[in-house]
Amino acid sequence: MAAISDIGNEFIRQEIEEYIERPEERARTIATFAKARPEMQIIAAALIDGDNETVDRLTREALAAGIEALEVMDYGLIAGMGIVGIKFRQNFIFVPEVLACARAMKAGMAHIEPILSASGIDPLGKVIMGTVKGDLHDIGKNLCIMMLRGAGFEVIDLGVDTAPDRFIEAVEEHRAPLMGMSALLTTTMPNMGKTIEAFIDADLRDEIKIMVGGAPVTQEFADDMGADGYGKDALACVELAKSLLGVRAR
Amino acid sequence: MESRVDRVPVMNSRRRVLAALRREPVDRTPVCNPTSVATVELMDLVDAPFPEANRVPELMARLAATGYTELGFDSIMPVFTIIQESSALGCKIQWEQKDNWPTVKMREPIWHNVEDIRIPSDLLTHQDTRCVTEAIRILRQEFGDEVAIIGKTMGPWSLGYHCFGVEPFLLMSLDDPGKTKACLDRMKEVTIQFGLAQIEAGADALTLPDHATGDLVSGEYYARYLRDLHIEFAERLPVPLILHICGKTVDRMEYIAQTGMAAFHYDSKNDPTESMRIVHNRISLVGNINNPETLFSKGPEQVRREVYKNLDAGVQLVGPECAIPLQTTIENLKEIPKAVRDWHREKQ
Repeated sequence: MAAISDIGNEFIRQEIEEYIERPEERARTIATFAKARPEMQIIAAALIDGDNETVDRLTREALAAGIEALEVMDYGLIAGMGIVGIKFRQNFIFVPEVLACARAMKAGMAHIEPILSASGIDPLGKVIMGTVKGDLHDIGKNLCIMMLRGAGFEVIDLGVDTAPDRFIEAVEEHRAPLMGMSALLTTTMPNMGKTIEAFIDADLRDEIKIMVGGAPVTQEFADDMGADGYGKDALACVELAKSLLGVRAR
Repeated sequence: MESRVDRVPVMNSRRRVLAALRREPVDRTPVCNPTSVATVELMDLVDAPFPEANRVPELMARLAATGYTELGFDSIMPVFTIIQESSALGCKIQWEQKDNWPTVKMREPIWHNVEDIRIPSDLLTHQDTRCVTEAIRILRQEFGDEVAIIGKTMGPWSLGYHCFGVEPFLLMSLDDPGKTKACLDRMKEVTIQFGLAQIEAGADALTLPDHATGDLVSGEYYARYLRDLHIEFAERLPVPLILHICGKTVDRMEYIAQTGMAAFHYDSKNDPTESMRIVHNRISLVGNINNPETLFSKGPEQVRREVYKNLDAGVQLVGPECAIPLQTTIENLKEIPKAVRDWHREKQ
């Protein structure tokens, strides 16, 4: 079993010591970073710091030095985002800081994605995400998308005010096995149930797993409307997506 | 707690609300929602549906009055949304139908920099701001001094979400605190101007929503960006102010209690007893009956339990935590004043 002293980067060690309390998460994070080479740990540290320019530069340098794109993504970007997600869930950081980290992740992924795409490496899974009809709020959905992408999922973002037909079209067009719906308003929450009914009417319900979330949504609402799962925050959304698709991190 | 309600002569609703906002003795705890009590059922009852009731003064006043005449609350709040001044500033609005709230299209921001912030000359004469001031005048004329009429003016942090977009505004707050403060400083004049116009029209108090919620930003953020501005609002707007912030806020209630505002409208994510302990009689609390899980989904018995929980904690004004879901039943809403009266009767 890896020990925290196996991680060379002092910043990463401090982050784990200070912010990761759950034993299983701590063990998993230590195991990941203990395997990560120093260059990857520095990328992860810059991402946790929300430094998009450094992530951009270091990612380019790592790829130029011959490090595999998949390794940079898994041991630099995704590993760093894993710590960000835990800090956010535990209220050590808030949305502005997460937005900065996601911006850094995006800066790195801009170099990684074309390489992975060209080499035919599949993402962890494909997820359709959208805020339901009548609702223009998207910060919660966007945080989920950032964390999903940060965990290695491909996400198709339908934006806000998404009609049931649009969800159906997207699922069919992208052949996605999973979709997530968000609502901030109590007035629009019932549109989640209506969207699920639309999938039943279209005879597509068995082909898609549906997760729901948003400030007024609860497990009870999710169960009542027939969703497959409910995530109470962005990190829970990632765990739910992995569970519903039966996938594990690479 | 009992000294607050003992031996106080019977008050009318307006005196009761204003006394509670000053943390003075009251004959019973007032029932108040400083955000919105509009529901579809009430719209049908008085033929004042959304979206028109947000844009036509007579309809706005008629629907707002039902909070007092039909539900038995001690206050009237004619501003059902958070979009009126943003519409006047030039934000695009999705007006929706009767069963949904109008919303600002925040993905189409109107400003990007400090220099972009311009308060239009028609801020107070635009249809959607004038609707509010006219509705307040109508209500004041109709109800005189009988019931508290509360206006609403949005704080600069919330205006920032509307006018810059949520993500750009939050990122700016991290990337460039100086620029963010300059933006807030310019936008605060909208809060002041619209607030003063409503006071002039007859508002007894103003709700000031400024959504620096714990679901988005830290308590330190509140202290850094908003505490001083909120102190300034309390000094410049000469009526009791009710700050409204949704979500988790216990980590910033200490700072909120320092602002000199009269009250804080707080969310059910915060425990009443813990919240009362933190604010420690420096600001009144208003709230915090849960909307989605209780008022919208459960029955009167659960509503009553939450009313009692707030009263037992000593909360000064009881009501829903935020704008109530439009499909909430009148039965559940009427249970709030009923439970308040029963609690006081039991305590005598």
